[in-house]
Amino acid sequence: MGLLTDPSAGQGKLTKALVKYHPKLTVLLYIAGIIWFCLLAYSPLNAGTYFSENALLPGLVTSKFRDDTLAKQYYDELQYEMKKYNNSIPYPWILAKFRQIGLDTYTHNFTLNYPLGRSQKFTGKNVYAILRAARAASTEALVMSVPFRPPSNIHLTTSPSVAIMLAFAKFANKEKYWSKDIIFLITEHEQLGVQAWLEAYHNVACGQEGILEHGDLQGRGGAIQAAINLEFHHINIAKMDIKVEGLNGQLPNLDLFNLATRMCTKEGIPHTFKNRENQKKDDRGRGPYDEWCYSFRTLMAMVASQATGIPNGNHGLFHRFGIQALTLEGFPAKQVRGNHSNFITIGRILEGIFRSLNNLLERFHQSYFFYLLPSSERFISIGLYMPAMCLIAGALFIKACGTWCKLQQNPLSSSDSQDNDDNEDSKTSMKKASGDHSSNDDTQEEENFDIVQIGSIFLLTHTIGIVLMNSPTNITRFGSAYGFNTELSIYIGFIIFSLVLLIAPAFVTIRSSYKSMTVINILSLLELGTTLICLSMYNFSLGFLAGTLYVPLALLIVPSNCRLCSWVQKILWLLAHPLVVLTTTVLIYTFISITGEPFKENMLRGLVATQQAIVFGIVDSMIYSNWLYSVITCVMIPNWLCFWIALFCPSKPKSDDKQVAASKKND
Amino acid sequence: MDKKIRSWILMYFLGAFARLWLATSEYQKIISDRIEISTPLNSWKRITEGLHLTSLGIYPYIGDTLHEPPVNLAVYNVLVAACGRYFYLIFVICDTATAYLLYIAAKKYMRHLQNNQIDNKDRYAKDANDILLKDSDFAIPPTYVAAAYLFNPYIMFNCVGFTTTVFGNFFMALFLAGLMSGNLLFSTLPLAICISQNLYPILLLSPLFLQFLNIEKTPRKAITAVIMVLMFWTLLVFLSYYMHNSWDFINDTYGFILTVPDLRPNTGLFWYFFIEMFEHFRSLFIYSFQINVTLLYFIPLSIRFRKDSMLLATSLLSLMATFKSYPCLGDVGFVLALLPCWKHLFNYIQQGFLVGCCFIVTTALAPTVWYLWIYSGSANANFYFGVTLAFATAQIFLITDVLFAYIKREFTLKYGRVRKIDGKDAQLMLE
Repeated sequence: MGLLTDPSAGQGKLTKALVKYHPKLTVLLYIAGIIWFCLLAYSPLNAGTYFSENALLPGLVTSKFRDDTLAKQYYDELQYEMKKYNNSIPYPWILAKFRQIGLDTYTHNFTLNYPLGRSQKFTGKNVYAILRAARAASTEALVMSVPFRPPSNIHLTTSPSVAIMLAFAKFANKEKYWSKDIIFLITEHEQLGVQAWLEAYHNVACGQEGILEHGDLQGRGGAIQAAINLEFHHINIAKMDIKVEGLNGQLPNLDLFNLATRMCTKEGIPHTFKNRENQKKDDRGRGPYDEWCYSFRTLMAMVASQATGIPNGNHGLFHRFGIQALTLEGFPAKQVRGNHSNFITIGRILEGIFRSLNNLLERFHQSYFFYLLPSSERFISIGLYMPAMCLIAGALFIKACGTWCKLQQNPLSSSDSQDNDDNEDSKTSMKKASGDHSSNDDTQEEENFDIVQIGSIFLLTHTIGIVLMNSPTNITRFGSAYGFNTELSIYIGFIIFSLVLLIAPAFVTIRSSYKSMTVINILSLLELGTTLICLSMYNFSLGFLAGTLYVPLALLIVPSNCRLCSWVQKILWLLAHPLVVLTTTVLIYTFISITGEPFKENMLRGLVATQQAIVFGIVDSMIYSNWLYSVITCVMIPNWLCFWIALFCPSKPKSDDKQVAASKKND
Repeated sequence: MDKKIRSWILMYFLGAFARLWLATSEYQKIISDRIEISTPLNSWKRITEGLHLTSLGIYPYIGDTLHEPPVNLAVYNVLVAACGRYFYLIFVICDTATAYLLYIAAKKYMRHLQNNQIDNKDRYAKDANDILLKDSDFAIPPTYVAAAYLFNPYIMFNCVGFTTTVFGNFFMALFLAGLMSGNLLFSTLPLAICISQNLYPILLLSPLFLQFLNIEKTPRKAITAVIMVLMFWTLLVFLSYYMHNSWDFINDTYGFILTVPDLRPNTGLFWYFFIEMFEHFRSLFIYSFQINVTLLYFIPLSIRFRKDSMLLATSLLSLMATFKSYPCLGDVGFVLALLPCWKHLFNYIQQGFLVGCCFIVTTALAPTVWYLWIYSGSANANFYFGVTLAFATAQIFLITDVLFAYIKREFTLKYGRVRKIDGKDAQLMLE
């Protein structure tokens, strides 16, 4: 019962040690957390991927797909059709093909009412066909989807995936072993189409009401178990990149990822993760440092894309509905020779994956849902990476605890030291102290922190955050009335908002009270720590990056005598404002990716990109309910503001001086 | 004085206003659907269902949704009929009144402490003077108790979620106020109502008995009080029986509480164990879990804290809120609101900060993990149970800390601040 022992037994030592060493301890914890995380990329410290779900039985059947000539034929016809429809899906051709194969074929209309600026409407139309399972009622389904990109689209084409999808549909329709419906889905407008289709399939609205009108579906299958999204850019695929990051950083079950990699290996197509090939066994001679470096860069590529919370493929929108999904992105070899295609291999990969999924007896529930991938063959599970985050967030808690203990000790410290110094006279000195105590009673009352004030500061800052979250629609309306475009008016609106908030500390009436201000600091530390832990449960990458950035700065906030120090603290904390962080990141990114342009042009380009990033964040939160924007406005900015107020804490408690003087008199 | 009253009114008004605003906002539905707030025992949804079934002339316990005693249901029926769609006002008024009752209870308790200190002053050690309580120490806590109830987020959510725990808390506060003022009727009747609703408060018979025995020094009154509670309870049970002329409700209310058939996750510890357990061990573990709540701490605590029935009641309430079969945040919040009564012990509390952090983190983490488990389908029950386990641990640490601080202060009062064994500094250890 060590923890429940007498307060004076040992605890005194522990508290004293905490008060004395907590600055060092926090730094140590933070660095340990970072190092822990970095080390995880080193392959002896993570684990190889393996199958947990036995029902998948991957690759046990002989592949029978050999309709590659048909796929090639579909591909050629599609190329011809696409010339006629420069801006949309060639509906009649695709519908006719699906019907010819003998599937239930439907279209699906949806409308987007653009929420910002002047009201605009966009419409779109998806095509889907359902292969009804031969051996079961339509209770479960699998999805194979392709984002259709018309020739006018700037992204790489996906037309080979449509061809292979049709060929696979024809092949699958002849087979008798299907026990789950297969839905072949061709969507328009990238993620918007999939989102609308999924909302219509489940008849729910995920974003704000009235923005994405998902319409209705005429035909449905059963509960969707898994989805494979295809983005093949060429008819001759030389390597397969597997994309997993979904909305809000959600990931599919690791078993599905394993299935995809295993099938690619079986058919002899190299699989990559984040477009980075796995290190080959014979490459290992390069030394552990190079090996770690390579894995770490792959890992950080995943962390960066997961942290944004934006899906990096259409698969990402399935995750919210409890559907495991990933994207297979096929790239051609660097030098493409002739008009040769390898549809037969791709078809066999798809056949393998879908037949395995067909074997599933229950939803994906084994294996991991929380993981990081340093390569497509190794993974880091939640149990390994969470301690890193706990160490980083723990630094905040330790600092809060240390500061709190210090605050509690202040009035007692003088009497304590007396106790130790003269135990013999302790009785008399105690009497004196107690006499002193009662006479100082009134000042003691003042000294205590003011709960009401602190509470209202926290309430107000968070209310401001909520107001900020709901402001974009009004800001853009106001802006468009004066002729500004949406991006610019939001950016300028936010900057003005933030600048106005900077003067908030001037209105804090308890600014001069050391105790109250320290309590604000402690509570802000706790809030940040809690937020980081919760964030990293949802989206580890975001939590980790935010932690790496904010924890050291928050640890720096200590009231100090030196004027220079306090100015440095304030400037550093200003730099940590989410708006500044975003602008800087985008600018740096712009300068790195576009080189050789004049400085001014790049700067402008970066600023425009920043504005667009903010608008994307807001629109994403409205349509897909991506909560990155909400978290930043509702939690991070209020928290930032609380720390900003705490920065104006007086350096030393005045009453402490008094007390020291008083105790001297006593002596 | 005028200023004091004004701030006093402002406090109650703010508390009530915040509840009214939340109760009429769109968040009400989200809050009332949270499993941490609405359990099968106290959810208003189930009451509505029961009322509807009754109005159709169907026996309301038939669908295994309702677990409130028939008498309570009849009262809710009257209340809902009287208030119509403004029935949320009942909850808000009830909660505000609870805060006031707790204020009275705390005030009475403070007076009791003060008298106690004056009476025993010459028995205390000489150097213990500076840990004696001053007038201000007696004056402030009651207001803090009321504030801690009014602005406690757990209590606010509990009220806004329209749980019947609001009424349970009201009667519990009434019981505490009656207990502290030594009023026989106002301590027995509310307790009987609490027992009839929740069963577990039967443990509070011990503080009731001890209060009248040790403080009022009237053994006869003490026995009368216990008998009165039992009589009132029997009366309520019989009233329930006459509502439908059947004893089936016993199985649906008390049987439901004791045998824990509904394993919907909640903040307690029962559901996870009984989901995981082999069926034939079930009765063994039901017995051991229920004995853990009722008997295990009841007797030792009653013996140790027989002189301070308020502390005894609070510690029993806290243990109930931690270990009972269907706990909710409203129970935890009620105990937390009572703690400012022992504000003078806070200096001795050791893990206050740790417990505070634990409460904050678990409160934020529980909905997170719940979302990941239920909606995203990526986390699982173990994550959620881990969080509730941490929450329960924090509660246990808190109450242990308070009790230990109390004992330590008592010890210091009696033997002085300097502890020495054979001329060396000594330390108190709990082993």
